[in-house]
Amino acid sequence: MTTSVVTPPASGHQPGAGGRGTPAAHVARRKKLFWPFVAPTLVLYGLFLVVPTLATVVLSFSNWRGAGDTPQFTGFTQYAQMFSDDGFQNAFVNTLIYITLGGVGTFVLAFLFTMVLRDMRGNKMVRAILFFPNIVAPVALGMFFGVVYRYQPNRQGLANYLLESVGLSAVKFLEADSVTWVVLGSIIWASAGFYITILMAAVDRIPPYLYEDASIAGASPWQKFRNITLPLTWDVVGIAGVLWTINAIKIFELVFVMAGSGTYAPPIHTWTLGIFVFDRSFGGTPAYGAACACAVVMIVLVSVFVVALRRLLRRDAIQF
Amino acid sequence: MRSIYGGRRGTSALVLTAAVSLVLAGCGSGSDNAGGGSGNAPAGDDGKLVGEQEFMNAPCPEPAVKPTQKEFTYWSMWTKDEPQGRVLQKAFKCFEEKAGVKVNVQWFGRKFLTQNVAPALNTDTVPDLIDQDISQVKAAVVDVGGTQAVDDVLAMKIGEGDKTVKDVIPSFLYDIPQSKDKDGKLFSVPYEVLSNGWWYDKNRQKDFVEPKTTDELFAALDKAKAAGGAIAQDGDIDFYNAYFLTQIAEKYVGAGGIQKAVDDRTGNLWRSEPGFLKAAQYVERLAKGKYFIDGWDASKFPQVQQRWADGEAAFLFVGSWGPSETREYLGKQGGGATIDYGSFQFPKPEDATHDTIEFLPIGWSVTKKAKNAEAAKAFIAYFTNKDLARGIPAVADNLHPRAELPVPDDLKQLNTALTDSKKEKVIFMDSIDSLYEGTYVKNVFYPLNNDLLKGKITAQQFIDQIGPKTAEFWTNRG
Repeated sequence: MTTSVVTPPASGHQPGAGGRGTPAAHVARRKKLFWPFVAPTLVLYGLFLVVPTLATVVLSFSNWRGAGDTPQFTGFTQYAQMFSDDGFQNAFVNTLIYITLGGVGTFVLAFLFTMVLRDMRGNKMVRAILFFPNIVAPVALGMFFGVVYRYQPNRQGLANYLLESVGLSAVKFLEADSVTWVVLGSIIWASAGFYITILMAAVDRIPPYLYEDASIAGASPWQKFRNITLPLTWDVVGIAGVLWTINAIKIFELVFVMAGSGTYAPPIHTWTLGIFVFDRSFGGTPAYGAACACAVVMIVLVSVFVVALRRLLRRDAIQF
Repeated sequence: MRSIYGGRRGTSALVLTAAVSLVLAGCGSGSDNAGGGSGNAPAGDDGKLVGEQEFMNAPCPEPAVKPTQKEFTYWSMWTKDEPQGRVLQKAFKCFEEKAGVKVNVQWFGRKFLTQNVAPALNTDTVPDLIDQDISQVKAAVVDVGGTQAVDDVLAMKIGEGDKTVKDVIPSFLYDIPQSKDKDGKLFSVPYEVLSNGWWYDKNRQKDFVEPKTTDELFAALDKAKAAGGAIAQDGDIDFYNAYFLTQIAEKYVGAGGIQKAVDDRTGNLWRSEPGFLKAAQYVERLAKGKYFIDGWDASKFPQVQQRWADGEAAFLFVGSWGPSETREYLGKQGGGATIDYGSFQFPKPEDATHDTIEFLPIGWSVTKKAKNAEAAKAFIAYFTNKDLARGIPAVADNLHPRAELPVPDDLKQLNTALTDSKKEKVIFMDSIDSLYEGTYVKNVFYPLNNDLLKGKITAQQFIDQIGPKTAEFWTNRG
């Protein structure tokens, strides 16, 4: 944003327009201001993002524990140990599950709401309500779900109370074997509102006459979605997909709180990559080298997913 | 949750405020004051448990060691308002008053070793004094060379005549490999000790006879199950689930026996030592007998522990913090419900050879880069004085290494068992959870133990699987 304001305009600059054949004085002034404005950004960005990222990569090849010891470079040892570690393997698979199945679930839910909300009266209020889970800290959400999914005969949580009230048996939602899927459902529930808001903002840009025309032609809601909504919001869907990927790859708090006691790391079969990094950093024995190696894998993973997603969703923009 | 080991959650740590202090004040006991020494304490010499106000208002003892340094920095595992925090504030006030040493405190809470101390070791801004249980200190700070020897503290006088630290702290609490660094130097001087056991409510089980054999234990469990519920167990905490197997295995293989099996790179020791299978068979019996109350494996801590406090189960197996946590819960619930705590140890199986009890010391450590080590060490000795040390049982409702100090009624049985010289002392879980960055228990032991305790695998399957998994662990580790 800064550069677009202070850099000389690439087009639209007309030599001589008010400059009598030489660049206008204000343009020269702008040029002078370019670096003073950009340099602090670059310095801060470099200092707090680029350098730490590079340091993370470098330290991932060391056995540094991060507690006053000197890093010793051990080549790919950290990576070799990490890839054979059950905790990492589970974390990797679970993270992929959250990205893919979570993404599919979230977007299906978001699209369904988009189809319904467009024609609905008071949809702005519904949108706001659906957004609510996003203003609650994930840790608090996790604790809330712990109460909702409580399993205790004669004192069930909300979910089991509802099940029992319709004559069904109570379910052990938080049992170790199934908790990953319960967390997945909870994440979809908590995330959908955010993506509904983004998609609905894009849907609001679509001229209503397109839908009116489709209605006159007898199009079903699905046909309207398939032939109007989706093509005309495709660029936004792509961005939303990238946002989801970045958010999903760092899923941490909700799993930590729901799958475990909340104080200690949950069982390794529920881990995500974020939990693996946390465990190696603060889990009891500092092992920053291993944590850095996992962080590098996360960077690579998010890069691969984002590039793949951008390629997959690349379409010519439709002007309307 | 284990109050210190691994870090009790903050909420449960904020226990025992005024209400509890009043309860404790009323828990005066006529227990014999076996120690005492020649300290100049005006209160507590009669062996009675003092209340918090009495403790706080008592005159400060004179320090025997007055350092030349006039301040030191302490980073704490406690928070300022929890009982241990309040006890320490009194001690710091006294130390400043009597020795002229100001203590600069940062109250961090349980996770401070990895989140604060370890990162600080990369700098020159380090605390002089830290504390935590020895397993955590060793894993997070000692193994990277972050502490200095505190052996010299043992010889320091504590302000009770000629008594030294060594005279009043039992050696089994510090003269152990787990309290030594790689050079064999002591890195921790204990000031609180944890233990564990079966807890039950004497009010609810008036005719209960504490079991002396495993058969009697299972008979009691059968009876309790028939009456509505036998064991309450918060199944979402892996190391709580590990108590059962490690407790019984230690009785077969003794202190250090489980560590040996973990360290055996072939994994064969798990099979060749028959005690492990026998221990696993007891756990299988617990699982197959369905003694755990419904929902124990799908709960959030501390729901199941609270169900025990509500009377849904007869027994709860946790550490010495069990009474304080459940009492806090009942207090918040209102209604005036109380528990008359009784405790007993896992009976030793007839064919087992080690009469064990688990413990875990919490102690003081001095960092290697400490600028005021002299003052910090002098304070360690000062806090061992009985007039300050008694705050741990009296105010914080926990056990102090000085077993002669009066303890709350809740902990008397546990204190008796822990100080029984005939019992073999073993660190919690034989300290395997602090080995190899905790990766062995997380990757190998906990998953299989959980399956065993939940009845998904048999004892034999446990043994068949843990050996190869151990060997695989070592292969991957290189």
